[in-house]
Amino acid sequence: MSEEFARVAVDHALRLGAQYAEARVQRDLGHTYTLKNGAAEPVSVTRKLGVGIRVIVDGALGFASTNSLDKDQLRSTTESAVRTAKASRRLLTSPIRLSEEKSWEDNWEAKMEIDVSKVSTEEKYEFLFTIEKSLAPENVHVSLPSRILIFDEDLTEKFYVNSEGSKLHGSVPRLSLIFYITAEEPGKGVVQRLRHEAQSRGWEVVEDWKPTKIAADEAKMLGRLLREGVPPPKGEVDMVLGSEVTGIICHESCGHPQEADRILGREAAQAGESYVKPDMLGHRIGSEHVTVIDDPTLPNSYGYYMYDDEGVKARPRILINEGVISGFLQNRETAAELGGTSNGASRSSSYDREPIIRMGNTYMKPGNHSLEDLVEGVKHGIYMKSFMEWNIDDRRYNERYVGLEAYMIENGEITTPVRNPILEITTPGLYGSVDAVGKELEFAGATCGKGDPMQGAPVWTGGPPIRLRQIRL
Amino acid sequence: MKQILRTAQKQGVESTAAGFTRTQKRMVRFSNNSVTITNSWLTETPTIYLVSNKRRAACMLEEQDPENLKRAVEELAKTMKVTPQSDVDFALPQGPFQYQPIPGTYDKKLAQAETELIDAVETAVGAATKEGAVRVSGVVTSRAWERYVSTSAGAEGSHNGTEIDMTIRAFTSDDASGQGVTVATSLQQFNPEEAGKSAGRIAKMALNPEPGQAGKYDVVFGPSIFANILNRVADSASAYSLDLGFSFFPDMLKRKVASEVFTLHDNSRLPYGPASASLDDEGYPTQENLLIGRGVLETYLQTSYTATKQKAPLTGSARFEAGIEGMVPAARNLILQPGEASLDDLIDKAHDGLYITNNWYTRFQNYQTGDFSTIIRDGVFEIKNGKITCPLKGLRLSDNMIRILQSVKALSKEQHWIRWWEVNTPTLTPYVLVEGVGITTAKK
Repeated sequence: MSEEFARVAVDHALRLGAQYAEARVQRDLGHTYTLKNGAAEPVSVTRKLGVGIRVIVDGALGFASTNSLDKDQLRSTTESAVRTAKASRRLLTSPIRLSEEKSWEDNWEAKMEIDVSKVSTEEKYEFLFTIEKSLAPENVHVSLPSRILIFDEDLTEKFYVNSEGSKLHGSVPRLSLIFYITAEEPGKGVVQRLRHEAQSRGWEVVEDWKPTKIAADEAKMLGRLLREGVPPPKGEVDMVLGSEVTGIICHESCGHPQEADRILGREAAQAGESYVKPDMLGHRIGSEHVTVIDDPTLPNSYGYYMYDDEGVKARPRILINEGVISGFLQNRETAAELGGTSNGASRSSSYDREPIIRMGNTYMKPGNHSLEDLVEGVKHGIYMKSFMEWNIDDRRYNERYVGLEAYMIENGEITTPVRNPILEITTPGLYGSVDAVGKELEFAGATCGKGDPMQGAPVWTGGPPIRLRQIRL
Repeated sequence: MKQILRTAQKQGVESTAAGFTRTQKRMVRFSNNSVTITNSWLTETPTIYLVSNKRRAACMLEEQDPENLKRAVEELAKTMKVTPQSDVDFALPQGPFQYQPIPGTYDKKLAQAETELIDAVETAVGAATKEGAVRVSGVVTSRAWERYVSTSAGAEGSHNGTEIDMTIRAFTSDDASGQGVTVATSLQQFNPEEAGKSAGRIAKMALNPEPGQAGKYDVVFGPSIFANILNRVADSASAYSLDLGFSFFPDMLKRKVASEVFTLHDNSRLPYGPASASLDDEGYPTQENLLIGRGVLETYLQTSYTATKQKAPLTGSARFEAGIEGMVPAARNLILQPGEASLDDLIDKAHDGLYITNNWYTRFQNYQTGDFSTIIRDGVFEIKNGKITCPLKGLRLSDNMIRILQSVKALSKEQHWIRWWEVNTPTLTPYVLVEGVGITTAKK
């Protein structure tokens, strides 16, 4: 990683007339190992190394990248960023500015106790084969015609400099395990389950995932669901949502609508806008039980980073505090426009992508209740532990989660499995229905999509189980 | 590429497909009638696909150092040797092959275009606001690429191309919007004005929407939403999806999966096709593939691996994809055969139903059964007595892919190319009338 290389780009941009410039040299090394029904798929390797340069020229923003680490090409790429930004000035309605921020010089990393790159390929496949064995029919008592097991490792290293004096070197290893299991029962159809475990750690993480137990438990659950699952009841019920469902809700209907670039309309043609407006800070959106936080600094988390890709130090952000909208995810551009400072939410997925506002790890703050407490308080309801299908409109107001592992709750007890209960609800309708929050906080890995060109950002979604009252199925 | 082949051979690899792509891509993004950023990318990407003794390995290498390239091949070959065997013994297609050029895929002016993209934004925004749009957002992207493929099985060739596409989204209020798209392989065919007009027109029609009601409706699908559905159909017709259990066409070859009026091709050799190419990434010549003919599933798209496994002919559809299988079968230009109706005819035929222009966020409850939902976005309109009446909002399409395909009743003569954020494979589609489509809404 070359400090000199990044510095050349920044200096050249300033000489060309840019008022601000930053350069990020980024290396990504990825390996994907896959077992499909017990047979190996190709080992897939991705190696990327290049530089992205972002400039502001007379209020116009330009970005250019190249994977040629030749200095002439670097200068030419920088010229392209400056030239196209200059050319776009005539279509600016107001100049783009960046908020004032402290400059940092630092080295940071997420440490690996066991360096995953030193673990042999054989051991990684052995890890997957052990999981495959746990899915044997005699163990899980259900036919699994399709079993996809993926172990993925991504090592990212970034060197960042800007024209304001920041100089940052960071590295993060990200490991993940994805199960994709299809279960079938004659006369009962098929059900499918996707599960994603992920952390920013070394190879030591794989034991903590308890993969054989998770896989076997999921498969057994699918078998029971097929054999015993009943259609969901009609009409009004109370619902208890598992951690996985709480997590996706917080991500989709709190994290996304409170991204300030959406609020200001910058993503309107792709990922959309937001029902949240700049003047809605302080607006009640849910019950007093709802507090949602985004925190990229959680140790070992999949969305971990210490500085964002504008050189701003990462920090926890409280997005909803006791039911009230209390903060937005901000980068330097939105902070300047809305007045204030960035809270370090600007991320880029690769050297060739501009940094944009992203979540890190979004979760609901735990309360005091056990799962049993939550269920005990329900006379007639549904416990939706996990989900498969979900989506939300592009203003993040109208959402749907279709339960996968789900059960009836009758007189305070979890009873029969239920197939495909559907929670289709508005954002205030959902957060306003929360009357109790559990104490067990869990996280799932996810890759969040946003931006054009598309950028996949590693994130955690999380929360405890929560209870919703008076939901119409 | 020769270095990749030589190094792999030295490592004892049986078969190698080496590729190299040089891409110059430019983009201008805009929102609230103002440019938000200009982007330009120059990327050179070698790709390596190794096949040996029932094992496969793949590497995408966005690094320029030739020594790294050699080292990457050596490491990949070593890794492959300790990889467990897969379920199929196969070889890459045996060359050499003759590749016929495809007219209209490269425009020198487009390859060099830079300020023309900014001019296009100005034109499109102007056209949309003239139609009544209050604010306008979007993106224009141009690509110029050269792709070389060389295999140890004697296949060697190259193709180049240019493409430009624009998505424009016009708003007349926070909950009233319309989208326009233009896609072309040359600047001459590119029409930002029409895209802007179309977006502005729909946004104006969509002003003051009423909450929609759940139910079953006869729906006229606009090209943008139907292109999204057709992309999912093509994904499901990929033998790779089938192999993974992600296809809603399992064991359906030569069976009726759609209505009689539904015929879908994937034509990699289409003159002026936005993604046309004369050879695939295994060096096999491309061809036109009939995916669904008069409702019958005719073809699964194949690579040499899946074709061997399924004892099927090659389809010239192999595409190198980083991070997953390495080489997967994928559609390039999807074309849904048009009908004879006008859009007005379809609306008249729907009688009481909906006209839906666009969607996003399609997610499956179950890939094998095809149960899914997708969010309806931009203009959606009630049809009463064969006429468009009021705009609606808050609707979700919740249905099953096979049921939708089997319920296609009529298609328009008018076709549009679509490629945007939610439609990755360029798709030429008419307006389509489908009976009895499931629509749901939020209940609290």
